[in-house]
Amino acid sequence: MLLPIYAAVILLLRPALAVFADEAWTVDYHHALLGLPKQSTTFFHRPDPSSRASLIYTLSEQGVVGAVNPRDGGVVWRHLLNSSRDATQSSFLRAGDAQDAIVSGLGGQVTAFSAADGRVDWQHDVPDALVDLEILELEDGRGTPGAKDTLCMSAGQHPTVQRLDGATGVVKWEHKIESGDTPYQVSASTTEVFAILLHKTVLGYIKIKVITLDPVTGRKTDEYTLSSENELATAETILAVGANSASPIIAWTDSAYKTLRINVIGKKAIVDFPINTLGGRPPQRVTLHAPYLTTSLAHFLVHYQSLDSDWAEVYHIDVKTGRVEKAYDLPKIEGRSSFSTSTNGANVYFTRVTKDQVFTVASTSHGILGRWNVDSPTSSLTDGTARPVHAVSEVSVKGESVSAVRSAVLLSSGEWLLLRNGSPQWTRPEILAGTVSAAFALPSEVSDLVNELQEEAHSNPVSAYVHRVTRHIGDIQKLPSLLTALPQRFVHGFLGTGSDGSDTFGFNNIIVSATSDGHLVAVDAGRPSDILWSSAAVILSSGQVWKVRVESAAPGIVRVIDDISPMPTFFNASTGAAIGDDEVASDSAVPNTAVEVDFTLKDGQLYGTTASQSGHNDLWQFGLQKGETILSLTPRPVNDPVASIGKVLGDRKVLYKYLNPNLALLATTYAGQSRVSIYVLNTVSGAILYSNSHRNIDLAAPIAATLSENWFAYSYTAESTSTAPKGHQLVVGELFESLTSNDRGLLDAATNVSSLASSTQPLTLTQTYHIPESISKMSVTQTRQGITSRQLLAVLAESNAIVGIPRGVIDPRRPVNREPTKDEQAEGLFRYTPVIDFDPKWYLNHRREVLGVKDVITSPAILESTSLVYAYGLDVFGTRLNPSFNFDMLGKDFNKFQMLATVAALAVATFVVAPLVQRKQINQRWQFT
Amino acid sequence: MAPPPPPPQWVLDLNSTPPAQSRFSLPDPPGYTPQTALQSKSSKSKSQPQTVSRKPPTPEETATLKLKKAWEIALAPAKQLPMNAIGMYMTGNSLQIFSIMMVFMLFKGPVQAVLGINQTFARFETEGKKEEMLWVKLAFVGCNMLALALGIWKVNGMGLLPTTRSDWLAWETERVPLERAYFRPS
Repeated sequence: MLLPIYAAVILLLRPALAVFADEAWTVDYHHALLGLPKQSTTFFHRPDPSSRASLIYTLSEQGVVGAVNPRDGGVVWRHLLNSSRDATQSSFLRAGDAQDAIVSGLGGQVTAFSAADGRVDWQHDVPDALVDLEILELEDGRGTPGAKDTLCMSAGQHPTVQRLDGATGVVKWEHKIESGDTPYQVSASTTEVFAILLHKTVLGYIKIKVITLDPVTGRKTDEYTLSSENELATAETILAVGANSASPIIAWTDSAYKTLRINVIGKKAIVDFPINTLGGRPPQRVTLHAPYLTTSLAHFLVHYQSLDSDWAEVYHIDVKTGRVEKAYDLPKIEGRSSFSTSTNGANVYFTRVTKDQVFTVASTSHGILGRWNVDSPTSSLTDGTARPVHAVSEVSVKGESVSAVRSAVLLSSGEWLLLRNGSPQWTRPEILAGTVSAAFALPSEVSDLVNELQEEAHSNPVSAYVHRVTRHIGDIQKLPSLLTALPQRFVHGFLGTGSDGSDTFGFNNIIVSATSDGHLVAVDAGRPSDILWSSAAVILSSGQVWKVRVESAAPGIVRVIDDISPMPTFFNASTGAAIGDDEVASDSAVPNTAVEVDFTLKDGQLYGTTASQSGHNDLWQFGLQKGETILSLTPRPVNDPVASIGKVLGDRKVLYKYLNPNLALLATTYAGQSRVSIYVLNTVSGAILYSNSHRNIDLAAPIAATLSENWFAYSYTAESTSTAPKGHQLVVGELFESLTSNDRGLLDAATNVSSLASSTQPLTLTQTYHIPESISKMSVTQTRQGITSRQLLAVLAESNAIVGIPRGVIDPRRPVNREPTKDEQAEGLFRYTPVIDFDPKWYLNHRREVLGVKDVITSPAILESTSLVYAYGLDVFGTRLNPSFNFDMLGKDFNKFQMLATVAALAVATFVVAPLVQRKQINQRWQFT
Repeated sequence: MAPPPPPPQWVLDLNSTPPAQSRFSLPDPPGYTPQTALQSKSSKSKSQPQTVSRKPPTPEETATLKLKKAWEIALAPAKQLPMNAIGMYMTGNSLQIFSIMMVFMLFKGPVQAVLGINQTFARFETEGKKEEMLWVKLAFVGCNMLALALGIWKVNGMGLLPTTRSDWLAWETERVPLERAYFRPS
């Protein structure tokens, strides 16, 4: 009789805390992103010249170089080049024709990768910021066959042009530019290398100066200045310098876009073309598209963009004479369209992508070689919400006509879309790579219900009753659809095939992200593969970065606080619609009688202010010492429910936690000293509740901190000393009312407390642990009522991972230098060990590589056991965590079929056996033996 | 009506046991009295002198006897106590199905005994000994209480009694802060 009970108990005990294999790819989701691709650094390239298969290579605005398979949109390889994301940095990506090499340049570093697998071939650091990078397509005696050399130009005090060996990255020659002109670009024809400099005249205008260099020795052979008159006021109106084409050119316009001036580099003549506006508005932007191969025809396309339409002109260059002439026009089309250049042998093709069509023309004639309609009912391109920003294309040619064209189009919504003959193949939500802030919000169905229930709770009983009856009548109308969906739902639940769309457990929260380029993007955590909505919330000037914070304001509503508008703006999380300030229901459902105190970081100082009739009064200011600067401030989360106010010890006594919602952790450093101070503050009174100072800290390494419930954690990297090596340390502290059990401290059973009137100090226990890696960001799981134990989520930037450290492992009450007593064992405490190794089971990302995570946010689900986790930065990673296991939900391994079969078998057995038993019982009474 | 037929032979055999006969010719060992002989002796030969010598017990004697017996029953639970205590000690303080069942029995027994106290002592009730009977019952209740106390001691050892601060922690509330601070990023 006991056996089944034991069996059940054994089944209930799960052996380890980890991501279970059957949940690994279903509860978590991951977008391996590259970031927004740039037009100039995105192209199709064949890594293996013998094969026709090509990959899309890009170096994104986020500084990630990578290769994407055009068939399915999967990332073949990628590298995060520079973790410091600086919008002003120019970046370059070049591939030599028919070569298994990709050369990237970002900041001051040139890196060559193997195109097929992304292995780094070599790296070269230029003395200062990189200005331009080109592959020298020149075949001479000194060029190593197979790996073409690279030309790079750097700015700074001593601008240089360097030629790097294609195989090793060794500098072959270096040319220093001593004239004091600003280096602009480097370009190469089949015989010469040109360095283009900008010469500032006395009047403040710019003249273009071209220095011709010998490609073999790097010596200057010629120098001339183009008579650009007084047209060039800034470098911005220089359109392009065609590099590596059969005949490189410089093109520029005047600032009013009246004329287009073209110079074939090497020739001194300048050709002027008046810009034809075709009877419409003048262009706002002019771009030039030219092939990047010396073997292709010297044709190029000039793309004019006005406010509402696009048109283009194709020009031909006579390589021998250097004559430039216009070949034909491409008609004006309303709405945004993008052009891309592709080559096939010597032929050059231009592909135009509009919102409903893709067509391809050859550079030689204006006849359309292929035309396809964009047929996608769901694409944001066709429904008018997004427009193509730029595109790269690859054409395959059969005879005279173009048989197929693949275009990777970046949409203004931030999606990267591949159109194959006009039909979308895949989209990548690259915009999420630029997320700077994100927040969880409830979906509209849930938030509507919450609002209705709140309304009922706040009105008088009669009207609340009427409201409820009408709500239920409304609900009855949904009954038929519910009933028809019921069998399917049952089948889905029974077979475990996918979700039925309903969200009983609250897993399908909406995540609203704000990106640095001014977009708001929403993703449903239940269907993370596609973007729910995306909208440009603000218009930013180029190079400007949106400093923004997104937070949940009310159920289903997010609040966006930025540096542009003085007041926060509100958005509906389900639709993205902007909501007026007055429509937002007050967040505090419970009347809040507490005195409100604000604390803020202003000019590097921490202030506490209180609002009164006469405006804001300063309540306190944190007294920084001389030379002390604030590193970070981590307030306790506003919504941080705690289930129990004390810790139950092994002898069933209680150790009372110091629970104060007004806590913040402040980290400061001292100028010129490798020293970090940590303060735990009471943010109402400004009192310091705990402080500690660490010397000999590596300030270049991240210092992460978090605060939750009554405990805090921070990590830093300590420099090596004579007694200790360099190491990463994690400090965990816990605040208690009193360290004596069954003692609530000085205030004892007082029901309320004023931080201003009484100055009770908590007692703090801390413990330091050595960790194998530095933590770049910390967060804590959140559950609905705080009953579930917590996990410390730590982002490991070096190994591109996120670990969830169980709270029990870093408990500061672990006994030091002795074995735990029986009572401590009963509490789950075990002996203190100075080193914590990250258990492989703690890694939330398991086999995935989560690159460039900046922050992790958590949110409770409806189930108490579950906390939703969302990490963003570059990659987007989300999962569900059960720090105390799935105690309120059946696991996937629960065999529903077996259970039903057992019940059915028992029912059948009962029906079959019942008459037999009855007959036997009757017989027993009547028969004598 | 015809006279009833003579009873069959087996009825006769059944009713008349055969005379006791030693299956062996050997005499019985000294001091041994066969059962049949004992029966016949007590009913026939010895019945006469006994009935003469032994008087039926007087009501007082019966009452004393009954009281003695009642005391014995009343103190029986106390005698079991050491054994129960050892059993309880042996099962340990962990919450297991065995110890839980034993503790349950430990509670069930005394409670049932106390509830059924009147039935237990009904056959010993006599007139005139009511007062003594009350003492007996009190002793019985006391002994059962001792057993119950053992159970309570055991349950306490298992940690099931809400005697510590942690058991009442859920009724203690967090102190309400009179001020609330919010971070306003500038």
